[in-house]
Amino acid sequence: MTQQPPLIGRVTRSSTRGFVGAIRAPEPDIPVFGSFCKADAQQGRSSVIGLIYDISVEDDGFTRQIATSPSAKPEEIADAQFNRHVPVEFSAVAVGYLAEDGYRYALPPQPPLSMATIQSMLPGEVRDFTRRTEWFSLVLGAPEIPADELLVAAIRFAAQARPQSERPPFLREAGGRCARLLGRDLVRLETVLGSLSG
Amino acid sequence: MSLDLPQVLPQVNALAEEAARRLENLEQLLRHANDGLSQAGQLERSAILERIARAGEHWPGAIPTLEPLEAAFECPPLPPEFNVVAADGSQVYPDRHSLSLFYLINTGSICVRAGRGTPPETVSRPQVVYEEEDLYGQFDGLIPSAMIDGQRDVAEMAELARLGAASKGKPTLAILDNGLLLWVAHQAGISLSPQVGKLLASYLEHLGELKSADVAVAGFIDRPRNDNVLSLIHLASATQGAGSEESGRRHPWRGLTDRALFSGRLRPFQRSARFQHASPVNQRFRDAGHAVEFFYLCLAQGHIVRVEIPAWVGERPELLGFVHAGLVDQCSTPEGFPYALVRAHELAVVTMEDRQALEDMLAGALLDRGLSASHSRKSQTKQWTGARRRHRL
Repeated sequence: MTQQPPLIGRVTRSSTRGFVGAIRAPEPDIPVFGSFCKADAQQGRSSVIGLIYDISVEDDGFTRQIATSPSAKPEEIADAQFNRHVPVEFSAVAVGYLAEDGYRYALPPQPPLSMATIQSMLPGEVRDFTRRTEWFSLVLGAPEIPADELLVAAIRFAAQARPQSERPPFLREAGGRCARLLGRDLVRLETVLGSLSG
Repeated sequence: MSLDLPQVLPQVNALAEEAARRLENLEQLLRHANDGLSQAGQLERSAILERIARAGEHWPGAIPTLEPLEAAFECPPLPPEFNVVAADGSQVYPDRHSLSLFYLINTGSICVRAGRGTPPETVSRPQVVYEEEDLYGQFDGLIPSAMIDGQRDVAEMAELARLGAASKGKPTLAILDNGLLLWVAHQAGISLSPQVGKLLASYLEHLGELKSADVAVAGFIDRPRNDNVLSLIHLASATQGAGSEESGRRHPWRGLTDRALFSGRLRPFQRSARFQHASPVNQRFRDAGHAVEFFYLCLAQGHIVRVEIPAWVGERPELLGFVHAGLVDQCSTPEGFPYALVRAHELAVVTMEDRQALEDMLAGALLDRGLSASHSRKSQTKQWTGARRRHRL
């Protein structure tokens, strides 16, 4: 049976530069910073590939009551963390899209519409998308996001999606690409390469 | 928004003025009622019971137990280890304008193992009812909403019984978000229809299972509007005279509640004396060995709630004390309402989004079988006009 990519939420707002999704999830299912996801666009004819760069856990009146209560019991705190489905909002920056003829490393022609499903990408999909590294420039050039930290996290995810033997050459190639893109900004380059090798 | 707020504003102001005037009046009435309770406290219990017997079976008051009427009991300590279970239910009534006729009962429950630090066990049980026999049964037309409410109440009690049996051997407090008298039977009064009788029998059976498992059962009523103790004071008051059936039926303090009476008498965490319900349906509970008693509990200065318990809980000091201390403990977070009930409600409630998702699922299932899946024209027009569109992008 073919493995289905796990659903992590639905689009609440979007633009061609990225999209925001929401879900009510217990703690283990909350999306992870730097992970790859995809959302359907153009009535299913394309999928926008996103990197999750911001995750915010929303609260409600009850959560605030428990959090500020001096007498909250361990069971109640465990209940909030493991049972209550906390509303989570996450933002993804677009780093490419899957068209009918394969992956494109550019901003998508149309954003996903609201309520489009957002799925985590399976390791095989991550491997396929990251065979090329043109998406790095979309991350580093995106305004108002923690671009360097995001790129490092995403490269690590892409490396993890590969067999052990393929990881060192992939990381070397990624480092080389970073050097070309950040060659004129040695401080940033040092930070990125330092984080990658750390 | 179709409500014309400028038109409403003067009416709202008049309402607030009336509320302030009524409060002033109630304070005067409260003084009389307090004096009445002190006087009633001096009477022999047998004399009060004699007056109650003369007041007839429709008298809506409170029957004293062996505890003194004016007594206030301090909160006892909790057992070192215990469980708290709670259940709540919600429903979707059948709608002839909907895609298909059905109704839904959703029961939410929680079991908190106090002192262990582990996450509580939570359950949500939806039941979709669609068989013709269940939708129409012996009724004239569709099943009445009150019967669906009754089925929901039975489902809640059944869930508590299941959790109670699973917790056997450890002190367990079971909480319901309401009184213990089955409301549909309470409303029916003395003569019950066979359908209501069947629900009542099932409800009492589950209550019996809780009794067998030694579970301390309690119905929790926040902001109660009851006036049973006021009726008792009126009936027992010396000025009221012989207490004929007619004169004893209603107390003269309209608008006053037992809650107001006890808010000046109980300190935080104290409970009042226990009383028994004089409702006719309580006779059926009594016959089955589950007569319902109640007391008032002070959770904070002026915050009085009503707690209903079976007499077999009230008569066993360890169970009664456990209900008292357990509810005080449960109401510490969030302040003033049991934690387990908040969560049971959250697990049971069917939101508008849930309902929409259910309708979408139903539409898909009907279309798969080549059946029409459309709302009535009336329902469609309400959907068109009820939701305003916003363009955010």
